Amino acid sequence: MTPNGAIAVAVMMIALLLSGPGPGGVAILLVLGLAFAVIEVRSASLIALRRAATVVLPLAAFMVLVWVGIVGRAPSEIAADMPGTRAAALLHVALICGRLFFIVAVIQLVVLRFAHLTPLQFIRALSLPAGAKRLLVLTLSLIETLRHAIDRAHVALIAAGTLTRRFSLRNVIHSWRLVQAVWLSAVTIALGRMRDKWPVENTLDLLDRALENSNRRLFAGNDRIWLPITMGAAAVILLADLFPGAS
Amino acid sequence: MFTTPRLIVIALGAALNFSIGTIVYLVKLPIYLDSIGTILTALLLAPNRKAAFFCAWAAGWMSLAVSGLVNPFLPWFAATDVAIALVTALVTLRAADIFRARPLRAVPFAASVLVCGAVTGVVAAIVSAPVVVYLFGGVTGSGSAFIVAFFLKTGQQLMSAALLSGLTADPIDKILQVLFAALLYRATPGDLLVMLRKA
Repeated sequence: MTPNGAIAVAVMMIALLLSGPGPGGVAILLVLGLAFAVIEVRSASLIALRRAATVVLPLAAFMVLVWVGIVGRAPSEIAADMPGTRAAALLHVALICGRLFFIVAVIQLVVLRFAHLTPLQFIRALSLPAGAKRLLVLTLSLIETLRHAIDRAHVALIAAGTLTRRFSLRNVIHSWRLVQAVWLSAVTIALGRMRDKWPVENTLDLLDRALENSNRRLFAGNDRIWLPITMGAAAVILLADLFPGAS
Repeated sequence: MFTTPRLIVIALGAALNFSIGTIVYLVKLPIYLDSIGTILTALLLAPNRKAAFFCAWAAGWMSLAVSGLVNPFLPWFAATDVAIALVTALVTLRAADIFRARPLRAVPFAASVLVCGAVTGVVAAIVSAPVVVYLFGGVTGSGSAFIVAFFLKTGQQLMSAALLSGLTADPIDKILQVLFAALLYRATPGDLLVMLRKA
């Protein structure tokens, strides 16, 4: 399976879920997602589920606090101007969080399907314009640069007595200096790379060559199985929604 | 349009959005601060409005693509990022000279930040409200959910609660973002601006 195929399948599954299918459609999507997990990702699927739970559970707790704890009614009850119940609000949170769990799990399944690839190899395998690939690599690289700049500036400002290690009023007042120091550090590094380092080392040409995908086919291998299956599932779900009495 | 220095600034803007936006999301503040990089990217390309819009848009979407793994809500607000890039290119760029003037002219600076931030905030709130309602049932993971809850408690319908929440939180958030972006723009070395303005 190629990253292009996996992303196309994931996008279709997420779009179908967001189209608001009935219980039958949701069941089809769950079976499809499960089959993808078992066949393509195998035992690593458990990691995907764990990561999805890690992302969604705090959010679910937050939504329970807001909807069940504070609002105490479901949106449908508010729209109908009914008194409402906390149980209905809880059901609303469960539906939203279930949907979100599925979305995050599908994204994580795709990430884990290609866990053996480095970010550079993954980006290389994508069918994207060269400029977009270059931009993705530069963004990931600069996120690392910013992280290092944050560490360095943070330590320097603590050593200078401007910030403290723990939460304090001084940190609130002077945190702007940290942001400014990080930005100046990142800009200086980027300027140095663009003006001196990259032209001497011919970095951008080498990067473009490294990102060039020798395999020109958009889809290959198992893509030819998963894409028709997903499109078939989409057709069934959408037709079932259009003609609800047919089933 | 997308010269190497501009690609670097887009990537820097995306990295800045990702870093600050992620911290704010994790500490549940009722603001977002996730578009400072988008606004700053446009400001760095002033006065070229077309380049500013497209580069700011690219920075916004690039940060959404990367942030989506940490915060699964963010990518759905792609249209909001386009709106922010557009408003910044059309409105905020007019104040670029004021933001960079030396010495700092406090009154025009503050007035420009307030006006540009408020306009950006109102537009962002209007574009975001349908996404908050139809995709997330009214509550996203950010602290602004408490404001939605407040308006729902006062008897507002979901759509109007989400819109009112946006109109309450977004202008304050965007005024702060324009302020931070303007201050970073002031601090940016002139060498970088010269490189960026060479098409």
